[in-house]
Amino acid sequence: MNRRLSARLCAIVALSAISACAVPPLRGWLEADMARHMLMQFPLLVAAGALLGASLPGPGRDAIAAFNAHGLAGFAMFLLVTAFWMIPRALDEALLSPAVEAAKFASLVTAGAAMALSWRAAPPVVQAFFVGNWAWMSAAVGLLYEDAPARLCNFYLLDQQTVAGRGLVALAVIVPLAWIVSLARSGYLADLLSDAPRRASPDACSQRN
Amino acid sequence: MRTAVAVVVFAVLALAAFAGMTDGFRVVTSDSARRLAAVERPVAVADAALVDASGGVRALHANLADDGRIAIVDFIYTRCDSICTVLGNEFQQLQREIVAQGLQDRVRLLTISFDPAHDDPATLAGYAKRMTADPALWRFATAADPDELAPLLASFGIVVIPDGIGGYVHNAALHVVTAGGRLVRIHDLGNFRQALYDAAGLAGGARG
Repeated sequence: MNRRLSARLCAIVALSAISACAVPPLRGWLEADMARHMLMQFPLLVAAGALLGASLPGPGRDAIAAFNAHGLAGFAMFLLVTAFWMIPRALDEALLSPAVEAAKFASLVTAGAAMALSWRAAPPVVQAFFVGNWAWMSAAVGLLYEDAPARLCNFYLLDQQTVAGRGLVALAVIVPLAWIVSLARSGYLADLLSDAPRRASPDACSQRN
Repeated sequence: MRTAVAVVVFAVLALAAFAGMTDGFRVVTSDSARRLAAVERPVAVADAALVDASGGVRALHANLADDGRIAIVDFIYTRCDSICTVLGNEFQQLQREIVAQGLQDRVRLLTISFDPAHDDPATLAGYAKRMTADPALWRFATAADPDELAPLLASFGIVVIPDGIGGYVHNAALHVVTAGGRLVRIHDLGNFRQALYDAAGLAGGARG
């Protein structure tokens, strides 16, 4: 009962966050600046999606898990979606075309849900691959944005582009660090690095659940 | 197995989305996309009533058709002291080149202001004087009806945003437009010779 209640609460919070991102005053403010668009609205939508994914009831979760061994499909989808929304033209088009904007909301929310549904199913080595790939991709795009001498998006100013680039690079450092800290706190790193000849259990992570 | 299928499906969908957004992996910015579109899928620009520096009002398409020459068009606002200055210099050089190459009967210049609230005919005339524009070669105009401005800019692919300090930031380029009102080439700043070469070539062939 308690669990179902908290799932419902998660879903309500997530849907409110998505609606808040979509209604004109806040949406306009978020999208008027490239850094706010990429570093506030995108993460908000992904986080809302993650909450929705976490609040999915058991049967739906099982149905998705059947297509998502070790979280591979969910992680792949997350990487592809976030890579797509780093294309400068995609940012312009989201502002120009309601259809592209709707696709942006849907894909980022779905990517967030996919990540939430994949994270626990993924052993640390898969998480490492995923976090690492996402980080170098974001860092590379961030450095490009930061260094570009001209505007890449017709709707954004050059200094916003520089800030967005720096923010992406910062995220590319913070996210892997946070992941390593969480691994350390779970005791996984200590196990891995201990001198005692211990066979690392392949499902060390899933046991935590 | 089912996971592998899901990954492949996502990859194929993503490939299609990336290809669509980048015009087949050829562009990543809106500006390069509109350059490519002008070459591959040239379309007629939107029509709009324009008021020129002498106060006369004429629709853009009628103006282009009446004149009959290929027009190289740019978009500015007269208070601009950054990229428009560069555009102004390019157009001054273009004006000299047109004369030097004897292309006066085939190519002309048109500067359109996207700031009709400030750039009235008198202001445009003052700007033309500052540019030492020859009226036979280089005309200045702005939208007579501000409501017609947005569709006109959109059809050229020009995006104007406030710069936060009272002015505007906008993408700038040289737009080659036929007498039939079709936008057929877009050239970067600095490529005015190429723009003139294209315009002269188009003027020599069929008039679209």
